[in-house]
Amino acid sequence: MKRMAASLALAAALGLSGTLSGTGAIAQELTIGVRGGPESMDPHYSALGPQADAAKNIFDPLVWTGDDLQLEPGLALSWEPLDDDTWEFKLREGVKFHDGSDFTAEDVKFSIERIPNVTGPTTTEIYVRRVADVEIIDDYTMHIHTDGPAATLPYDFVRLFIVSSEAAKDHSTAETSAEGFNSGKAAVGTGPFKLVSWEPKGDLVLERFDDYWRGPAPWAKVTRKEISDDASRLAALKAGDIDVMNYVSSADYLALASDPDIETFIGDSVYVMNLQLDQRDETPKVRAKGGGKLDKNPFQDPRVREAIDLAIDRDTMVEIVLEGLGTPANQMMPDGFFGSSKKIPAPQYDPEKARQLLADAGYPDGFEMDLYCTSDRLPGDGAICEGLGQMFSQVGIDTNVNAISKSVYFPAQARKEYSAFMNGWGTLTGEASYTLGSLAHSPNEEVKMGAFNRIEYHNPDVDKLMQAGAKELDADKRRAYFEEAMEKTMADRAYISIVVLQTVWAGNKDKVVVMPRADEETLAYFIQPAKK
Amino acid sequence: MSGFILQRLLQAIVIMAVMSVIVFAGVYAIGNPMELLIPPEATQDVRERTIQRFGLDKPLVEQYFLFVKNLLQGDLGRSYIYNEPVLKLIGSRLPATIELVTTAIVGALLLGVPLGIYAGYRPDSPVSRAIMSLSILGFSVPTFWVGLILILTFAVELGWLPASGRGDTVEVFGVGWSFLTLNGWSHLALPATNLALFTFAMMVRLARAGTREVMLTDTVKFARAAGISERVILTRHVLKLISIPIVTVFGLELATTMAFAVVTETIFAWPGVGKLIIDSINNLDRPVMVAYLILTAGAFVTINLVVDIVYALLDPRLRKGHAR
Repeated sequence: MKRMAASLALAAALGLSGTLSGTGAIAQELTIGVRGGPESMDPHYSALGPQADAAKNIFDPLVWTGDDLQLEPGLALSWEPLDDDTWEFKLREGVKFHDGSDFTAEDVKFSIERIPNVTGPTTTEIYVRRVADVEIIDDYTMHIHTDGPAATLPYDFVRLFIVSSEAAKDHSTAETSAEGFNSGKAAVGTGPFKLVSWEPKGDLVLERFDDYWRGPAPWAKVTRKEISDDASRLAALKAGDIDVMNYVSSADYLALASDPDIETFIGDSVYVMNLQLDQRDETPKVRAKGGGKLDKNPFQDPRVREAIDLAIDRDTMVEIVLEGLGTPANQMMPDGFFGSSKKIPAPQYDPEKARQLLADAGYPDGFEMDLYCTSDRLPGDGAICEGLGQMFSQVGIDTNVNAISKSVYFPAQARKEYSAFMNGWGTLTGEASYTLGSLAHSPNEEVKMGAFNRIEYHNPDVDKLMQAGAKELDADKRRAYFEEAMEKTMADRAYISIVVLQTVWAGNKDKVVVMPRADEETLAYFIQPAKK
Repeated sequence: MSGFILQRLLQAIVIMAVMSVIVFAGVYAIGNPMELLIPPEATQDVRERTIQRFGLDKPLVEQYFLFVKNLLQGDLGRSYIYNEPVLKLIGSRLPATIELVTTAIVGALLLGVPLGIYAGYRPDSPVSRAIMSLSILGFSVPTFWVGLILILTFAVELGWLPASGRGDTVEVFGVGWSFLTLNGWSHLALPATNLALFTFAMMVRLARAGTREVMLTDTVKFARAAGISERVILTRHVLKLISIPIVTVFGLELATTMAFAVVTETIFAWPGVGKLIIDSINNLDRPVMVAYLILTAGAFVTINLVVDIVYALLDPRLRKGHAR
């Protein structure tokens, strides 16, 4: 600690602020404590968030996304559709791999084609599911042929990491990839850091790559430690073992406000908590008060769904349950995402009207239901669940709250065992086809949509709009389709959005400034040294 | 003696076979891991391809026999999450757990038994009362809380010891051990203390109860009458007489602590198997869960076998009874 403070003081005295200017960057070490680590050093093994978070230090994705998840040029400089099933990508020239070789179209083709051979169960095939064929025009131009119009192809590529076709050549089967990449032999990327060492659940050690195309990173050596327990990670930060931590819990966030050595950094996340109401004729976990059978599924009645929506006091939920770390949600994506609509009214809280609506719908005494939620997936999920239970009980719907582990919840949810259930959904691609296409479109294997519609919600208008949007290559028209689909979905209230979660990072005030990203990644390159 | 061991070995094999069925069926009952692992955007054909690749489309019985077949060839499969062979994955983290558990248990034994004997020998002295209070604390205060308090006190407030991780290791036989370096010991101190507390309390109480009982027996009276010094009575006779329950509990504790060092490992970010197994359960990483449970069952069976043999060595009645 002392030594670090001294070197910072020295840097300040010399007028070096440790910026990206390269020559001025002082030899500094950064230690980050993260809740979850990568699964493999092969960036194509898993599509999980922590995997991409770690991989982005070593590899670059083909298309970059900014802090707010909107597309920016990365290794690909520009992209445009040539016809219904061809996209042209222009690549950045002068980009070097860690071994000094040049980045070319060959590496992109190689990366796309190796994915089906090396990916694990959290399959990265989703990034290339629309790709039929990759055609190299010249070293820096390529045509990607798709299986039909693929309007959202560039969004698919935001986590398509590019590996060196030379280094990874012999490590591109399921049996050889882990060995080649985890040992570092094949883990050659174009990213800001070179891999020094890693083992499963162990520290990820990185060193600066001086020829990075954005300019060298402010840190010479970066260590990412996996400390899964929130309280321990915070203790490690306070003890000076780490400089930055992600996922500060809401309770700790309050306590940190009074700590003079630690700064917190808050950002909106991509996660929205959605209550989902089963639309089938028979639903298993709803009954009359006292246990009798109801003659039909009350959630099919729009008045009941509206009553449930009106029973939720979102402001209290944010202030009390989440300690202010969230914003009330009126739709399934945060504001500003491609396809989120400004026309959707702000959510109301009106328990009187809710009771009235229930009475109108033929439930003057309410009914009884089991509410299921995850309790260990996202910050506050279990607590929100309990809050919902109390709010519903106040308008007459007796609610048994079951906040359970995600490893039990998701398989049961997939078997459609629940009637009313809530979990977070993150719009990781920043656009609506990812969210509405999976949740709001009726389940349909032919058009490959509705895979996560577990309530059998079916609105023909929404289906039509989503299918039209998926084929529409004109971005403005597509946005209009998605916005309308979002408006219609939210008006039906089979999905009731509750809150947009926020994420908190904390860091040593004298050492770092963290830029929050909506996808919750903690990228060492973008953590700036604190200016004295 | 050899007949006795042979009989125990056969029992062990049956237990292992039954265990493997229970574990496999139990893990299968939790749910299909692919529901959790396959990402939401996956289309139906991608999903089916993935499920097929991991053999999860086959019926349970077929999956089980495939597993047993591979197991008998020494192959426990590859982790879904890390794509590494399960044995390598567990093997790379086992030394950290063994080191932590051994330090904790041996520490608890070496400190707990003498203190317990003293407390039993002089039950009314204030020191004995203090020892007994400490042991009650060790029983009743939850491990995770003690762990956090230790971190807050020694790492955050005093800054004497590091809060997490394993520190420098020295390679011996290709495995890294941190108890061979000073830095390693500084990392080991807090988690080992945390983990040792419960076992320590147990040792104290067992030793005390045993001592109090034995002190009243004729053996001790005659020894005193024969003019043998108190120190010799305690170390030579009492210690031997109270050791059977202590050995039993020591064996059980060794196995349970090994299997359940999870809490301590999570709090101190100790890179042992406990953390690995908890994450595997959360992610439904079936191969790791199954392999770990089988290995744990194996460890329990082995330790119990060893304990039985130690009994036989300690107690001639058992030895002779089974030799027939």
